[in-house]
Amino acid sequence: MRDIVRVNMATGAITREPLPDGWARYGGRALTSALVFKEVPADSDPLGPDNKLVFAPGLLGGTSAPNGGRLSVGAKSPLTGGLKEANVGGQAAHALAKQGIAALVIEGKPADAAARYLLVLEADGAMKLERMDAWAGLGNYATADAIKETRPADDRYATITNGPAGEMLLKAAAIAVSDPKMYPNRFAGRGGLGAVMGSKGLKAIVVSDKGLPYVEHADKDAFNAAVKKFANALTTHAVSGQALPTYGTNVLANIINEAGGYPTRNFSAGQFEGVENISGETMREMTLERGGNVKHGCHTGCVIQCSRYWYDKDGHYKTKGMEYENVWSLGADCGIDDLDAIGDLDREVSDLGLDAIEMGATLAVYMDSGKIAFGDGAAALAAIKEIWTGTELGKTLGQGAEVTGKAFGVKNIPVVKHQALPAYDPRPIQGIGVTYATSTQGADHTAGYSITANVLAVGGSVDPLKPEGQAALSQGLQIATGMLDAFGLCIFVAFPVLDMPEAFEAIFELAEAHTGLKWDADALMQVGKETLTYERLFNEHAGFTNADDRLPKYFYEEKLPPHNVVFTVTDEELDSVHDFVPAVAASLGIK
Amino acid sequence: MKVDVVLFAHLATFQPDGKGGRHSRAFDLAEGTIIAEVVEMIGLPDEPRVVFVNSRHAPEDQELFEGDRLAIFPPVAGG
Ligand code: SF4
Repeated sequence: MRDIVRVNMATGAITREPLPDGWARYGGRALTSALVFKEVPADSDPLGPDNKLVFAPGLLGGTSAPNGGRLSVGAKSPLTGGLKEANVGGQAAHALAKQGIAALVIEGKPADAAARYLLVLEADGAMKLERMDAWAGLGNYATADAIKETRPADDRYATITNGPAGEMLLKAAAIAVSDPKMYPNRFAGRGGLGAVMGSKGLKAIVVSDKGLPYVEHADKDAFNAAVKKFANALTTHAVSGQALPTYGTNVLANIINEAGGYPTRNFSAGQFEGVENISGETMREMTLERGGNVKHGCHTGCVIQCSRYWYDKDGHYKTKGMEYENVWSLGADCGIDDLDAIGDLDREVSDLGLDAIEMGATLAVYMDSGKIAFGDGAAALAAIKEIWTGTELGKTLGQGAEVTGKAFGVKNIPVVKHQALPAYDPRPIQGIGVTYATSTQGADHTAGYSITANVLAVGGSVDPLKPEGQAALSQGLQIATGMLDAFGLCIFVAFPVLDMPEAFEAIFELAEAHTGLKWDADALMQVGKETLTYERLFNEHAGFTNADDRLPKYFYEEKLPPHNVVFTVTDEELDSVHDFVPAVAASLGIK
Repeated sequence: MKVDVVLFAHLATFQPDGKGGRHSRAFDLAEGTIIAEVVEMIGLPDEPRVVFVNSRHAPEDQELFEGDRLAIFPPVAGG
């Protein structure tokens, strides 16, 4: 049983219906994107009543598939204006899937803008909306505490919460999901989906899975065999079995810096002299000294375990162990080389409910205007704190890098489709530039992680300084990522999948044993292509053209040290990345 | 000739001075030394690795020159 649950915020009605027949192979991003494509007018106001906020566990959610518990969140994005899917770990995907919910669709908008609702989804299938106006303005951590007080002591549940940034409808607002220890520290970060949640008056969702078993499989024995094969591959590969669990994602800081692609001080240099102070190796040493945790999964069933907890100098939990992206955005991109300052910033943006990538890039742009100095962590924290009270500066910063850059007259604003670039400069790593430029999501490294063959020597090897082969690489990765996101698989399974044939096989064996449908490599890739086709067509209907699939001009003109290169992939090559879309659209009968 | 050698992640423990840490060490090498010879000299395990010379990927038969920076990583990735 896989149902769609609809919650109408205008009327308070909650209904449940079976998933339409044609969508049996869809979960996660395939489902959120198909639903938004079908049901949200492309020209609608992202913060108006016609937008819909969709939460969908992947096709393997609620099972014991390794690393299969990611949640997709979809809507029309207030930041990009296009179709958005933000992907998040935490416990919510498993809990929704165990309740038989394939997609949770939040529709409409309450008449009273001051209303704050808690949506409660009980393990026995009971569902209700409760008015909790007193929770207005609470940070994510206080909201998690308030939810706890409403629950029985022996409950087991996941939370999905929205911070003040989302309530203020800020375009950098993110949605928080609780981790296995109930900390609201995993984020559907990108694209301002917290603002969509805020526009619907929805402060929080609690999903109980107390006593609920795993979702049943068509063939249990075959499923268990595929689980073993997949887990074995993930724990054997040097990256997913050793580097990520030991050092976390921030193990990348040194290698990206070495390659000259670590964006420093608002993308004005490719190497940061303070990298050693903020590297994954240093972070591990400091965390161990302080008694922090250096290895756990962000959700049950993760066998890679790149998550950790960051503790302050006194040995108290501060925030999740900052990921590579967060350390970069709130660190190197702002010229800050102090992990405690970065941890403080991370805690603040997490509690406010903001996308850390967008906010770091925004602070860097703000620093570039000269209003505060690069490297000044205390001034950066003071600026972010203004978002709580909604001062003019606070509201400007909360709208992201582009709005902030324009407000303060900054020349170089690193955005594509209005969304800030993540932690790899596209000039010395041309493959990631192709993904930034052409992704349906705006600048997004996870949409097609070309860092693999460009820098890390995973899944082949291409020269990162040259344009050759980059468009094809990005296309393949974008399609494969659409597939992984549809299954609810963590993108980090891609490292072994790219290098080990048995890891790839295990995915369609899992799919086949679970669904009882016939799956093979082509069927997997077809789901990825269909996902991208819905997104691409929606964006076209919203007014995007090939001209939007470009990097900001200065990446083509201003040379980045130390390699002193510009981005040289041609427009024709960028336009080839989505060449499969017309044929797939025709096969789906959509246009 | 002098070449800076820097080792990352768990490879840092293989620095010959036994001090660990990731700051670079100046190695005094004979002219014509290739990367593979340095790898052998340090005693790195026979495992996959990613090698840069002066911030560019380098094959292990590449010759080193005075003032080069040789950086060696185990396979790493993330997001
Ligand atoms: S590898 Fe990291 S991001 Fe992926 S599921 Fe595990 S803890 Fe979460």
